[in-house]
Amino acid sequence: MIEVIGISKQYLSGRGHVQALSGITFQVEKGTNLALVGKSGSGKTTLMNCIGGIEKPDTGKVVIEGREIQSLSERALCLFQRKNIGFVFQHGNLLSFLTAAENIAFPLDLNGVGARVRDRRVAELLQLIGLPGIGAAMPHELSGGELQRVAVARALSHNPSLLLADEPTANLDSATGISIIQMMIALTRSQSCTLIMATHDQELIALADRSIRLRDGLI
Amino acid sequence: MKARKLMFFWWKVAFLFLSRSLRATGIMSLMLMSAVAALIFLSALAMGVNDAMIRNSVSLYSGHISGFNIPGDVRKDALAVPGVAAVLKRLSNPGILVKGGKLHEAIVTEIEPREELQFTAVGRKIAAGTYLTGTKGDVLLGRSLAGKMGVSPGDTVDFKPFAGTGVITLRVAGIYNTGIDKLDRETAFCPLGSLPASGHAWSAAVFLKEGVEPGKIISAYRNIIGGSAEFKSWETLMPDLKQLIDLNYVSMGIVILLVFGVVSLGIACAFVIIILKSIREYGILKAMGVTSRETMLLIFFEVLLMNLFASTLGVILGIFLSVLVQSTGIDLTAYTSHNQYFTVSGVIYPRLTPFAWGVPPALAFLFSLIAAVWPAVLVSRRRAAEILRMV
Repeated sequence: MIEVIGISKQYLSGRGHVQALSGITFQVEKGTNLALVGKSGSGKTTLMNCIGGIEKPDTGKVVIEGREIQSLSERALCLFQRKNIGFVFQHGNLLSFLTAAENIAFPLDLNGVGARVRDRRVAELLQLIGLPGIGAAMPHELSGGELQRVAVARALSHNPSLLLADEPTANLDSATGISIIQMMIALTRSQSCTLIMATHDQELIALADRSIRLRDGLI
Repeated sequence: MKARKLMFFWWKVAFLFLSRSLRATGIMSLMLMSAVAALIFLSALAMGVNDAMIRNSVSLYSGHISGFNIPGDVRKDALAVPGVAAVLKRLSNPGILVKGGKLHEAIVTEIEPREELQFTAVGRKIAAGTYLTGTKGDVLLGRSLAGKMGVSPGDTVDFKPFAGTGVITLRVAGIYNTGIDKLDRETAFCPLGSLPASGHAWSAAVFLKEGVEPGKIISAYRNIIGGSAEFKSWETLMPDLKQLIDLNYVSMGIVILLVFGVVSLGIACAFVIIILKSIREYGILKAMGVTSRETMLLIFFEVLLMNLFASTLGVILGIFLSVLVQSTGIDLTAYTSHNQYFTVSGVIYPRLTPFAWGVPPALAFLFSLIAAVWPAVLVSRRRAAEILRMV
């Protein structure tokens, strides 16, 4: 269960104070998926970042699997993130100096998984994302769709309990985007992983179990 | 075990980061390598200048150690302790040189001509006539002294030692000119045995093997001889040279620091740019749960690996250049001919010492670390979302 309780966040920008989020509260059941829907600037990314712990809300809290992540120390939060959370960013954001396979293996290495188990898991994921032959490819050699597939595999490699995907199909054509979301949903379901994805694509919203619409930082 | 495994993992990530960012790593490495190599060569050259000054000064006449009042019964071999390259025996006879109506106070020093020629420079500073061949009764006069007495090679002069009553006639074999006024004006040389044996104390010029400290040998001599014999190192006899060498070391240190400071500023800027260029990668790492400590560790490992690689190449290149020039030397005679510390030779031979090849890479590492502090702190203090928003 993921609980988001009264999250608010304000930014100071060139235009003065911007209220990105105002008292956002909702829950997501374990193993289900949720689409956060909203236009650009509605606060989707900020909310995703707050849920994932990579940004601190001004008020409110996020409880993942019974742990309130805002109360954790910096180190404890990092250790929690590396075990329990997977991120897929808008541009894939693979580490440019690692191959596709090394990118997927990264969270496993970070969690101290042994080489044999790690390699088996990487091979399995490359198979699952339909790209068994691209393990040795560098990120710049991959297409946009391939990059996102590898990013999904990386985010799920360590069996996290929560996968956060921020506009994962924003730079892809519609067909590729749908196939990636379908793949992501199938993979998270098979791992009982909760999926929260931010999108503004109506076609993708239909694929989610549930959706929440954000407008100017409000649900 | 897990911590060690994680540490190895970060080494691997740092290595992959550098090896797969070839262009950036290459440019940085080239800068570091050139700076380290240049400084090694510069340090070796500075050591070579000091060596040349010492070599010129000690090999002109005095040796690394000058011995005085050595009892007549002490054999020369007794001073040939380990670390000593040669001991030159000399008998100094103060007296009056007479030619026609001209009288001049001088010190006629009896020497071993062949050994002197091998280790000192007087024999290579002949201005007229020839060096001593070993013929007893021949004398070598300094140019000032010969000029004042109005003698030329082949002439004879009479010598009246203060210690005796007789007069010895000596034939002027040659005239030397060291450029050292005191020597050229006061000292004449003749082969040992040219003057009546007096059995009095003798002096010695002791030449040491490279790297041997004069103080150590002097202590050994005190144990062997003791008594009234006195031994002085070149540092004591030539305090001006010692001071000049110390000054050279200090200047060299300042120059190295300044040169490296300027080079390091370039390295630092390049390093900051490289880290900031990859800041998104660090943001992604943090989003995956990499701690601030691990991020800093990664940057530290990157700096360390790059320095290891570039400094190793720099040390090899610097040593290669120094060794290359060592074989021929750099002839600066045109700039040293009027300098009393370069009377024998103006050729500089760069010399590599642990300081010369050890300090530049250590400084490179230190400055790179300092350069990496700001981006490391920036990356580690910011939250992942902030970093990802920055780029």
